[in-house]
Amino acid sequence: MSIVAWLKRLKPPRLDDEDFQEEIRTHLAIAADERMAAGADPKTARQASLKDFGNVTLTTEAARRVWTPWWLEALRDQANDVRYAIRALAKDPAFSLTVVGVLALGIGLNAAVFTMLKGMALAPLAGVEGSARLHEVFGETSSGRPVPLSYSDYQYLRDHDHAFSGLMGSTLATLGLGRGRSSRSLSGELVTGNYFQVLGVRAGLGRTLLPSDEVASGGNPVVVLSDGLWRHDFNADPDIVGKAVEINHYPLTVVGVADPAFHGTIVSYDDEVFIPVTMTQQLGFTFAGPKTTQGYLRPGTSLADAAGQIDALWKTLSRNRPLSDDTLRLRLAPFWNAPGSPQSYVLPTLVVLSAMGLLVLAIACANIAGLVLVRALSRRGEMAVRLALGASRARIVRLLIVENLVLAVPGAVLGVLLAARGLPVLVVYADWLAAPQRLFLNVDVDRLVVGFAVLVACGSALVFGFIPALQGSRVALVSVINQDASPRGASRGHLRSALVVAQVAVSILLLVGSGLVTRSFDAARAAKPGFDPSHVTSIWVDVKRNGYGEAQGRAFFRQLLEAARADGVTESATLAAYNPMNMIETGAQRAAIEGYEPRRNEDVAFITNTVGPDYFRTLRIGLLAGRAFEDRDDEKAAPVVIVNATFAGRFWGGAAKAIGQRIRVEEGDWRTVVGVAADVKYLRINESPRPYVYLPFLQSYRPGMNLHTRGPSPVKELVARACALVAAFDANLPIDAKPLSERIAGSLVFLHLAATMLFIFGVAGMALAAMGTYGLVSFTVKQSTHEIGIRLALGASGLSVVGGFLRRGLRLGAIGATAGLVAALGLSRLLSSMLFGVSTTDVVTFARALAIVLGGVAVATLVAAWRAARTSPVRALRHQ
Amino acid sequence: MALHSSRPDARTDLVHGTLDMLILRTLQWGPQHGYAIGHTIRTQSSDVLQVEAGSLYPALQRLARKGWVTAKWGQTTANQRAKFYRITPEGRKQLLREQSRWTELVNAISGVMNPSPAPGTGE
Repeated sequence: MSIVAWLKRLKPPRLDDEDFQEEIRTHLAIAADERMAAGADPKTARQASLKDFGNVTLTTEAARRVWTPWWLEALRDQANDVRYAIRALAKDPAFSLTVVGVLALGIGLNAAVFTMLKGMALAPLAGVEGSARLHEVFGETSSGRPVPLSYSDYQYLRDHDHAFSGLMGSTLATLGLGRGRSSRSLSGELVTGNYFQVLGVRAGLGRTLLPSDEVASGGNPVVVLSDGLWRHDFNADPDIVGKAVEINHYPLTVVGVADPAFHGTIVSYDDEVFIPVTMTQQLGFTFAGPKTTQGYLRPGTSLADAAGQIDALWKTLSRNRPLSDDTLRLRLAPFWNAPGSPQSYVLPTLVVLSAMGLLVLAIACANIAGLVLVRALSRRGEMAVRLALGASRARIVRLLIVENLVLAVPGAVLGVLLAARGLPVLVVYADWLAAPQRLFLNVDVDRLVVGFAVLVACGSALVFGFIPALQGSRVALVSVINQDASPRGASRGHLRSALVVAQVAVSILLLVGSGLVTRSFDAARAAKPGFDPSHVTSIWVDVKRNGYGEAQGRAFFRQLLEAARADGVTESATLAAYNPMNMIETGAQRAAIEGYEPRRNEDVAFITNTVGPDYFRTLRIGLLAGRAFEDRDDEKAAPVVIVNATFAGRFWGGAAKAIGQRIRVEEGDWRTVVGVAADVKYLRINESPRPYVYLPFLQSYRPGMNLHTRGPSPVKELVARACALVAAFDANLPIDAKPLSERIAGSLVFLHLAATMLFIFGVAGMALAAMGTYGLVSFTVKQSTHEIGIRLALGASGLSVVGGFLRRGLRLGAIGATAGLVAALGLSRLLSSMLFGVSTTDVVTFARALAIVLGGVAVATLVAAWRAARTSPVRALRHQ
Repeated sequence: MALHSSRPDARTDLVHGTLDMLILRTLQWGPQHGYAIGHTIRTQSSDVLQVEAGSLYPALQRLARKGWVTAKWGQTTANQRAKFYRITPEGRKQLLREQSRWTELVNAISGVMNPSPAPGTGE
């Protein structure tokens, strides 16, 4: 069947027009005959029956409508409206382009934030179908601290659970690829054998890891590469499968390359290798087993069901083995809220960004509403004609709304393009801030984003179009026919004023929000974190990358430290396992405190760092009591420990009382407290004081350490000298050298990005609001040209005319500003989690926002009024 | 204007329904053409109900669409060509339904207008 025939069949039944006209003709003929029979002459009879019949066209229309389904006619009407709207808008390109542009800006910012939100919560893992439905299983101590499951617990759950379709585990690890100086540091995951199967990720080449790759400790020397690694570091070698690569100095056989879209399961990290978790020891790690356990719930299993099942399993498991004193409960969390994950940190900030984005959109809508309103006034003639011809108000409102929707679609498309262009710039910026750490941000602008943009655009069109459309359809016919152009309709003036007030209020809100975050970013950068990072190097050396054992490593670090001290440019040198403010939650360790009985449900666990002698002197951290670590605190000496002020205060009531007390970390020796150090910021600049424990490096070996050197020379020089020192011992040892200040800057990356975006939002919102206010004010002034002319002709000075408008403008500005300030005072509290060193009612921020907004209103009013005052009275009066 | 295109509401249903009933009733005694239908309704209502052509012909189309009447061209007694409408069995059933509804309505209204004491409430 041809398409035409098929379409014909689809065509609904319709009125036979010819037949109907014929019927009407016969009706008229019969009527005329009857009249003639009653004695009328033929002409009068025909005319009378025609008159009697009424409107033939309308009758035909009505008959036709009987046959058309109501939806078809509505659709046809709609299509007509759209066609008409496009024609009307094309006639007014300045208006149409402005609206599309403003809308595109508003939509673009929101689409960008939505894309990021999607990349964190809605589709967090690229290349993994339905990754938002992943759930994490983790343990929780009685005091609510999340801890990873042990490997054996994981295995028990994996084998016995029925709530999940599968449970896989993984651990993020920083690894060295290759040997020696040419080796490259990369992120990878140590994963369970079912990792790829649970996620449903396929291999692009070769095979993925399989459960058979997780059999015995050290027994599975295989690796799956990411597509990116394969392309960049192995030139997309088609014969890569079966070849050996060296990772952390250990040879692994490549069994496959993962799907190109897949970047691992750690949000924002670009994971490049996937290695069986049974290989952790061979790669030089001290932990065993995966640190996160994740899986998809079976269809039809609710979170509560799954939690119940997991709980029951856990109880069985607990009965069969000795319980530690740290009673664990098993918990389930959706992926976006997985404890300790990047997404769970970032999401609150993104929510704030989304709210700010919506504020910009609100300003954009108010702005467009103003334009639509002004345009509606200039179309009063057209509307009057429509009303006079019998169109209902509802019909006119619909037409105007269709016009707005027609504008919304290109606005959405442009907005999505804007987001698609803008996000890569942001990604490059973030990459630059985070270097050398490789980032992977899942910010693909996909169908979901386009759908969001269209939805928001249409929603906006209804918001900015509805009230003006209602107003526009309310036309007093008489005043239009009398060519009365002055805005007598007081309500329209009110609406314009309301729009000015709304834009002012929302921009205050926006400026306060972005101002608070920007100021707290400045405060964070200027903040004293408790140590002095200037003139200090941070040289990261991981000796297991070159296959060093513990004895070799100990000797190496001891010699390196001696050489660094002996170097002419150094004032002091030390070693430390972690940089301060390193952002990474390193995992607290349980500790026992002599003479302290933990309360029920009290969880005694602290973050520990392993540091060398002179640590506190090199980083200029104050010592409140006792002494620092010294060279004599080696493996043969009595075990010692240093705690921070918060620790000492919490358990012994002061620094001085802490000296001589004893604590034990995990299952280690009892250690005597020999010193109390001042608090510093250990993870983030905005953290609250937390207890912290320092162990001497000679009594607590770690294969990866930072060499810190301090000296008066420029820090670049110090870094180069320190690198040379390391190379002198082992030229093949990979190192990652930076000034300490740069590493700390890395910890501000996210705050930096958020502040940058909020700044963009603030500028965009302010520009839109200024434009909108100027447009509305200048329109009001233009409408008053007549009045100005009269006042000037009667002898008023230009200055007094300008003054009058300025007063009116500022009054509106003041009303809006008051509303905005009240709202900002109420809402800024929601930002508190993002703020540092700035109160939510920061006077400077509020005053600045107020000054900017009122200044903007004043300038807009002045410019518009000044132009009006310069027109000559004669011209103004002749205007109409 | 285009509001006509939306789904007919209850109010127009009542008006349409009444006109439809009158037309079907007229056709009960045999096929008639449009003009005659209008004429019959007018004379039988003693000139009270004037059915305008603008309502009559769309109503006939509506009835035809619903399958309650069929139409056929024929000759009048005066030897005029005209389209004759004939009620279908479906149409008769519809007429019965309409009629009982109408009676109910009329009774209800007259009950309100001329109330008689309800049985059982008197002393």
